Amino acid sequence: MIQTFAFYLFATIVLLSGAFTIFAKNPVHSVLWLILAFFNAAGLMVLAGAEFIAMLLVIVYVGAVAVLFLFVVMMLDIDFAELRAGFARYLFFGIVLAVFLAIELVLGLEAFRAGAIKLGTATSAPVDAAVPNLEAIGALLYTKYVFLFEAAGLILLVAMIGAIVLTHRKRSGTRPQNVAKQVRRRPQDAVRNLTPEIGQGVDL
Amino acid sequence: MVDLSQYLPILLFLGVAIAISSIFVFLPMGVARLTGAHKPTAAKLAEYECGFPAFEDSRSQFDVRFYLVAILFIIFDLEAAFLFPWAVSLEEIGIAGWATMMVFLFELIIGFIYAWKVGALEWE
Repeated sequence: MIQTFAFYLFATIVLLSGAFTIFAKNPVHSVLWLILAFFNAAGLMVLAGAEFIAMLLVIVYVGAVAVLFLFVVMMLDIDFAELRAGFARYLFFGIVLAVFLAIELVLGLEAFRAGAIKLGTATSAPVDAAVPNLEAIGALLYTKYVFLFEAAGLILLVAMIGAIVLTHRKRSGTRPQNVAKQVRRRPQDAVRNLTPEIGQGVDL
Repeated sequence: MVDLSQYLPILLFLGVAIAISSIFVFLPMGVARLTGAHKPTAAKLAEYECGFPAFEDSRSQFDVRFYLVAILFIIFDLEAAFLFPWAVSLEEIGIAGWATMMVFLFELIIGFIYAWKVGALEWE
């Protein structure tokens, strides 16, 4: 009973906030609606028994990806009046894109009706409900799907290096901390004990 | 459908959080509306920025370096997320699974060393 209620609650909010993400005039509001959609999708994942995926949705998507979207929205510096001014100009391309999307949708639906793809045989039954979610994922991810896992690591590496190459600039005139130099400095290099005469002062 | 009774405490926390935060928001509004005079003028409704009129739009462009920090954060966040199932199932997957994660960590450490050497983690 409560599961059914929770499912319909989460699903309704996901659909509504997804629609608001598209229809919101202000991109910042769009991102906020998207965050709400992510949260409720996490709730749906919990209902489906995939707790780890739910936590990942909250940590990675809400915590990091949505923040990145906000950054992008802030960095684009969109002028809303200018954005709307181009509506008639881009209408043609918009319609072309929409037609292609509609064709893809129809094709996808037809392919779905044609039946399941036979890629291989289903080897095992779904994981026993008594096994914790995290353990079940771990047991498969690091043994059977090891190549996909390492490929994911390589993709992350490429993303990291690409982001650095694209956005990092050497700035002149900056004085970064040199830890090795700081640690190497000894008291005898830096400190002098003097006993100056009265009224003589100190040479620096 | 899974057994959701273990999520009851979280639900209770959520309810308490929503209740308290809406009290904080709506109670002052209600009290102000009931006790004070409500006579808005254009000057009263204008944005208040430390006593002078707002200079510019609040949505200004900022440095692309913030974006680099965010990207690096996502990547290491994902790395940490992959560590959790690995740590839990380490007994099952044995030495091979351990080595898998070490290779994965090595791939990201290469990126980390690169970021460090290039100075992407330094601010000024």
